This record gives sequence, C-alpha cells and structure tokens, in this order.
Amino acid sequence: MSEEIVFIISAVIVLVGALGVVLSRNPVHSALFLIQTLMGVALLFLIEDAHFLAAVQVVVYAGAIVILFLFVIMLLGVDKAEELGIDPIGGQRELALVVGASIAALTIVTVGWSVDGATGSAPASAENALDNGLTDIERIGRVLFTDYAFGFEITAALLTIAVIGAVVLTRSIRREDVLADLEPASLELPSLAPAGANDEDTPHDGDSGNSGAEVSSEGNRES
Amino acid sequence: MLAALAAEVGDFVRPPIDWHAAAPELTLLAFGVLLTLMDIVWLERGRKWAPALASIGLLATMVPIITLAVDGADRSMFGGAFVVDKYALIMKAVFILAGYIVVLISSNYISEGDYWENEYYGLLLSSILGMILMASARDLITIFIALELLSIPAYMLATWRKRDLKSNEAGLKYYLMGVFASAILLYGMSLLYGASGTTLLVDLNESISASDSPSAIVVMGIIFVIVGFAFKVSAVPFHTWAPDTYEGAPTPVTAFLSVASKAAGFVALMNMLFVGFIGRDDVYEPMIFALAAVSMTVGNLIALRQTNIVRMLAYSGVAQAGYMLAPLAVASDVPDSALAATVSYLVIYAVMNLGAFAVVIAVARKTRSAEIDDYRGLFHYAPGLTVAMTIFLFALAGIPPLGGWWAKFRIMGAVIEANTVSGVVLGVFVAVNSVIALYYYARIGAKMWADEAPDGDLTPVRVPASLKSALVLTVAATIVFGVLPGLVGDVTKVSLLAGVGG
Repeated sequence: MSEEIVFIISAVIVLVGALGVVLSRNPVHSALFLIQTLMGVALLFLIEDAHFLAAVQVVVYAGAIVILFLFVIMLLGVDKAEELGIDPIGGQRELALVVGASIAALTIVTVGWSVDGATGSAPASAENALDNGLTDIERIGRVLFTDYAFGFEITAALLTIAVIGAVVLTRSIRREDVLADLEPASLELPSLAPAGANDEDTPHDGDSGNSGAEVSSEGNRES
Repeated sequence: MLAALAAEVGDFVRPPIDWHAAAPELTLLAFGVLLTLMDIVWLERGRKWAPALASIGLLATMVPIITLAVDGADRSMFGGAFVVDKYALIMKAVFILAGYIVVLISSNYISEGDYWENEYYGLLLSSILGMILMASARDLITIFIALELLSIPAYMLATWRKRDLKSNEAGLKYYLMGVFASAILLYGMSLLYGASGTTLLVDLNESISASDSPSAIVVMGIIFVIVGFAFKVSAVPFHTWAPDTYEGAPTPVTAFLSVASKAAGFVALMNMLFVGFIGRDDVYEPMIFALAAVSMTVGNLIALRQTNIVRMLAYSGVAQAGYMLAPLAVASDVPDSALAATVSYLVIYAVMNLGAFAVVIAVARKTRSAEIDDYRGLFHYAPGLTVAMTIFLFALAGIPPLGGWWAKFRIMGAVIEANTVSGVVLGVFVAVNSVIALYYYARIGAKMWADEAPDGDLTPVRVPASLKSALVLTVAATIVFGVLPGLVGDVTKVSLLAGVGG
C-alpha cells in the first residue's frame, strides 16, 4: 500500500515537472521543472530498491546536466525575448506532433501487446543475480570490476581522448592571430554589441582579414 | 583501515586476464599515451616525430596480432565479452594496415597545412583502438564503448580544418547525426537487454530466438540497433551526412572515414547479426534486404551527377555499402559464405578506396581542387598517377583482373548460393548497379586519358615519398588481390559461429 502512495506522489511530481518543461515561457523555469522531473524519477528508482541509480540520477542528471543546460541558457542571453509565433523551420511543429503521437502509440502498443509486460518474464539468470544477499551498490561494483572490467577501463581512455579533442577544437589557433575577425561570437551575443559596432567602423580591416584567411584556409585544404 | 576494507571484500576474485589476447589493444593504447606525452614534454620539437611514432605504433601492434594468428587458438575473456578468433584477427589487421596507409597519406598534408599534428595522430590512433576493440567485442556494452571510442575522435578529426566553414559543417553534421544514431542504437540495446536480461550476444541470441514469433520489444530492439549501425556504414536512407562530411573534412580524414570507419560499422553489424540475432532472421533479413537494395541503387544514381570527385567517391561508398550489405540479407541461409563474402569485400574495398583517395590528395597538391573537370588531361603531366587512378577506379567498378572483381564475385556467389528469392533479387540488383557504376568511374578515366589539360599547364605533380609509398602499396595490393584471389579467399574463410563459444 505504501508503495502505491509513494508511486502516485512521485508520478505526480514527474508529470507536473514534464508539463512545466514544455509549457513554461521562460527557459530557466523549464530547466528548473526538468530538475523536478528528474528528482521524481529518482524517487521511482528508490521504491524499486535501485539505490545506486537513484543517487546517480540526482548527481548526474539533476546536478551536472541541468546545470549545463542553465549555463547554456545564460550564455545565450536569458533576457532575450523569443518570438514564439514565428516558426523558423516550416512545419516542424506539425511534425513534432505527429512524431510525438506515433511514439506514444508505439509505446502503448508495445506495452499492451506483449505478455508479461513489455519485456516478458524475467529470465532465470536475472533472478539469480538478485538473490545473493548483496546490496545493489555492491553488486554493481563487483560486476564493474569483473565482467565489465575491460569496458570500464576503455571508458577511461575514451573520456581522456574526448577531453584532449575538445581542448584542441576550442583553443585558438597558434601561429596566426587572425582569429579575432573570424570569430562569429560577436554576431550571436547581443551583449557584445560594442565589438560588433567596432567591426562596422572599420570595414576594410575586417574585409582584408577575412579574405586573407580564406585564401590560407583554401591553401590548407588542398595542400 | 585498508586491512578492514580488504577483509570486507575478501571474497573478491580478480577476473582472469589473458594478456596475450589483449596485447594488440594494450600496445596501441601505450603508443597513444606515448604520443600525447611526447607532445606535453617536447612541445613543438615533437611535431616532426609524430607521424613516425604513429606508424611505429601501428606496426608494433601488428606484432601481437601476428603472434596470435600463428598461435591460432580462439581466446575468450570476461565470460565471452571479448573474443579473439580468426575473424577478429583479420579485421584487426585490416584496421591497422588501413590506419598505417592513412598515416602515410596524412603526414605531408597535415604538416604543410598548419594543423595540430600530435593530437591528430593521437586521435587517429585512439579511433583505430576503438576499431580493433570492436573486432573482438561480443557483448552489447563492449560494442557500444568500442563504437564511441572510434566515433568521438572521428568527429573531431572531421573538423580539423578549424578555420574553414565547410570543415566545421562537416564535423558538426557528422557529430549530430552520429550521436543521434548512437542514441537510437543504445535505445535498441536497452530494449534487447530488457527482453533477454543479458548483454552477452551469445546468450542474447539464445533468449530472443527461443520463441517462434518475436515479441514486439525484440523487433523494436533489433530494428533500432540496425538503424544505428546503418548510420555508421552510411546506408540509404541514413547516408545524408556522408557527402557533406567527406567533402568538408581534410581529405586524409575522409579516406579514413570512408574506409576504416565504415569497415568498423560493418564489423559491429556482423557481430550483432551473426552472433546476437542469427536466430531471428525473420526480423533482420527483410530490413537488411531493403537497406542493401536501396543503398546500391540510390548511391549509384546520385553518384552519376556529381562534379566533385570526393562527393562522387562518397556516393560510390554508399553504393559499395549496399553491395557489402547484400550477403548479410541471406546470413541465415549461408552464414559462412555470407560472412566470408562481406569480409573479403571489406579487405579489398579498403585497399582500393584508400588508393583512390591517395591519388585525389596527390593531384590536389598541384590543382588545389577536387573538381572532376580538373582531372582533364592528367595523363599528359602525371602519367603515373593516371595509371594508378585508373586501376583504382576500374577495381571499384569490378573489372577483372583487379581486386574489386573478385570481391564482387564473392558477393554474387553468396547471394546466389542462398538460392532464395531475396538472394536472387539482390544478385540482379548488384549486377545492374555494377553497370551503372561503371559509367561514372569510366567517365573520369576518359577525362584523364583523352582530354587536354584545361590551362595547358604541364608541370608535373610532385608526390612526396610517404604518399608515393602509400600509392605503391595500394596499387600492388589491388592487383595482387585480383590476380591471386586465393590469397584473400583463404584468409577470409572464417566462421563467427564456431569461434564464439563464450
């Protein structure tokens, strides 16, 4: 009985949060509602005795990912009024409606059509794994360092490589200092308007810099 | 403190590790780390040694692959998640050698173009590490990590010409489509895991093929997994990223993507189909059939109208992916010949396509262009390159006695041997498409040999030594594979089913 009550409460939290994400006018509010949804999902994990997943849900999703969202929203200018009446890519709302309805229909069919719920009855191996008296955190730890040790170690290499690549791609170019007039940031950030105005004051500098860079990049490309 | 912790985990047993089986991956990883360290310690002074160290690393990785092949025993680790058998070793060797040729064709391009050199080779090695891991992966999680390890460096390499908008577009398109495909793939994998309760492909197959008709969740899982890999191998209708990415990326990276990355996608697909889904042929065979037929036809028809040679090779690569998919559509009827046909095609395709891109890079050193019209009269000032390009193009078209002919012959053999309606229909598709493809390959040949040079400039193309050796290697291999087809035929007589006891 108590499980049902907890389920209903967390389901309400999740659904209200999900509606809030879609319906909020302010993107910051959307992001905050997303945290509410993710916290509700963490509660659902808790009643299924998946303590590790619940903790990871809070730390990774509610903590790291939504903060990243907020960071991007702030960076793009939260006070910029968005005209919601204009559809920049024609037909995408209708398309979203169709795709959303299809996914909903697909989910209902999949869950309804199958025997024993969507996944069928749990195989014997899964039952055994749950029955050795360890907490789920211990079990995940054991599996991670035995059966999946290789994948775990390779993931470490993968993350290092991703960091190296990201640093290379975002760092400015070494030898030439021609980057300044190529940086498109000034067009996208209204807060940097003085820099943009500066560009307009000296069109000739900007032009020559641009064309020079184009020639050299053309050279790069084919050499 | 530590003793108390150790007592608590007292019954933990370290999983047995076969160091010999993991030696290729560990060697390559060590050289990748060495390359990064060299960059940190030596800074600019390390620049000129980077390609040399990368080549040495790749060749050193061949050593454990050869010792494992001589040893000949099938090895399996982590309960069957990591398997070293003949098929895995062949594919590892293909990835390493393709990577070596990519390093050869990159070294001048990258050092002359003011790029980040050490990181370029570091990322290249890590992408190849993902590929050789993929050849051994027989478990959903290992396959996914291998896929990410090979894709993430490739996204960055595609945008390596940072100041060029086209390169940025190439990288961004590749990245967005790639992560989209990864998400679909992961969703499919999670459905399959939910349905079977295991990540091991062998157990997965046992679980999902137990019933006569598949459950809805298994059908969705299989479809999503195949769609995810169809993006990777650029099969129609999931090919839209390929032409733009190929055109915008630095040409050596394009060569790498069109050969090694595509082969890795096929290896993953073959692992999934032949080990994980083989009992569910009623689900995957119609889907692979449709992908194969549409890919070859659409790829070839769009290639006819291209004016840029890199875009043409991109669409021809889409069509070639269709040929390689064809035997997989009859995988359950003739598993051994289907696998051998696709592996042979991958080996030979790698050689001839890398060769074609090497010529494109060499010619662009003079003309600074990849337009097909700028190949007019190439014979008058670069006869060697013209002969090489002609060999590669006719090999890609499948003209005997060049390598591509034997590859197509194996494909036809496998689909006809299956003796099913879908097999024969695919055979007809392959035959008709080969004729269409011959037109656009031969058109370039005619322009190179018969026309006059557009501006009458007949100064010869200077080809640097490393590019020259890449050309010699690929030309020799293309001819040898065609003249002595037994060579690749013997090597690729492999069976996935035998090797994966788990």
